[in-house]
Amino acid sequence: MISFQQVNKHYGDFHVLKNINLEVQQGEVVVIVGPSGSGKSTLLRCINRLETISDGKLVVNGITVNEKKTNINELRKNIGMVFQHFNLYPHKTVLQNITLAPIKVLGVEKSEAEKTAMYYLEKVGIPDKAYSFPSQLSGGQQQRVAIARGLAMKPKLMLFDEPTSALDPEMIGEVLDVMKSLAEEGMTMVVVTHEMGFAREVANRIVFMDEGQIVEEGSPKEFFANPKAERAKLFLSRVLNH
Amino acid sequence: MDFSILTDNFDTYMTGFFNTIKISLIGLVCSFILGAIVAVFRIAPLRILNFIGACFVEFIRNIPLILIAFFFYNGLVAFHINLSGFVAGTMALTIYTASFIAEAIRAGIQSVDKGQMEAARSSGLTYIQTMGYIILPQAIKIVIPPLGNQFLNLVKNSSILGVFAGLDLMYYADSIHEKTFDTFNTYIFVGVFYLVLTIPLSLLVGYLERRLAKTE
Repeated sequence: MISFQQVNKHYGDFHVLKNINLEVQQGEVVVIVGPSGSGKSTLLRCINRLETISDGKLVVNGITVNEKKTNINELRKNIGMVFQHFNLYPHKTVLQNITLAPIKVLGVEKSEAEKTAMYYLEKVGIPDKAYSFPSQLSGGQQQRVAIARGLAMKPKLMLFDEPTSALDPEMIGEVLDVMKSLAEEGMTMVVVTHEMGFAREVANRIVFMDEGQIVEEGSPKEFFANPKAERAKLFLSRVLNH
Repeated sequence: MDFSILTDNFDTYMTGFFNTIKISLIGLVCSFILGAIVAVFRIAPLRILNFIGACFVEFIRNIPLILIAFFFYNGLVAFHINLSGFVAGTMALTIYTASFIAEAIRAGIQSVDKGQMEAARSSGLTYIQTMGYIILPQAIKIVIPPLGNQFLNLVKNSSILGVFAGLDLMYYADSIHEKTFDTFNTYIFVGVFYLVLTIPLSLLVGYLERRLAKTE
């Protein structure tokens, strides 16, 4: 479903992504971990072309992302994305946040879009907030709305860019629970996170990055129990022992 | 204060007053449209448009208004274009104000968190849709106060038309002054007429600001 082939990215002189090769199959949950600045978010953002790649090939849903003739909006409507800072539209209600793209991009009827929105709000556990504005919600609730907003497009793939990093510790659980149930239903997910518990429990595969490279890749079991790369060992000893 | 100046010359004052309203309304609408276009030029993802927009703003806003007005009134004669004082003055006022409005709108758009653009674009909305549904509605709240200032300036700056045959309030006041030689009383009423225009405009801007703040 996603295929990185020898992908490189530069910001000027800075080599952000180095020779990335990565395959994600349909229904897989891939969690990307690693120290800050290792290129995890950049890698994720390349998938829906929020970042462009410098060379190599990136194919998502059978579409080559980095080709001039690629209709980027066509590609993006099949990819949901959840951001660290939620990025809900502050001037729109929760319901309007969720229905905007289905109505404007997919051409769904308003009543139909609202029905779908309510279904997903139900699913993330806050149907009573449909007519609230984002500023009236807690961080955890906002992030759950953001997930519902992504799902309402009925995407084939969901991207999560540190979805719990900006949350109060008490709210992290409610967001992870939603993501967990999504994974159980077979959604293809790529998640950048520092939540090692979530990674261990939900991921089919862990990708460990450092300095723009994929240093190690494997099942959560082998990665957490027996990391091979020195950098991964060091990382795990630091994040797990506190 | 000598009210006879006002009563004796009421029709002359009124002619100038309504012309000033006309100039201000034309200037307001046109400078807003032109300013918005220039602002979009400045932020559009196209280098050449950015450059054109930047040239317009930096060139126009750094020249005194009266020079721009003289260019349209006197300067264009060299190119065999003869504009009336009214037309030349209104054009000068429009493009001068537009350069400031462009900056206000650009700053407003750029102050909207860039995560908004990313969230909207990643959901499949086009650049234009994102601007229309997400960015501009948020930018307008930020832009209203500086925009209000520019509109107030525009009304007051229109008095520059009095320098040549602009037919505005200031121009007719000068003619009253030439007749009566009563400088103080003639221009006191001019001040009052400008306040009649600017104070309601000022209140309107304040009202819009409060109303938009409520929908946050």
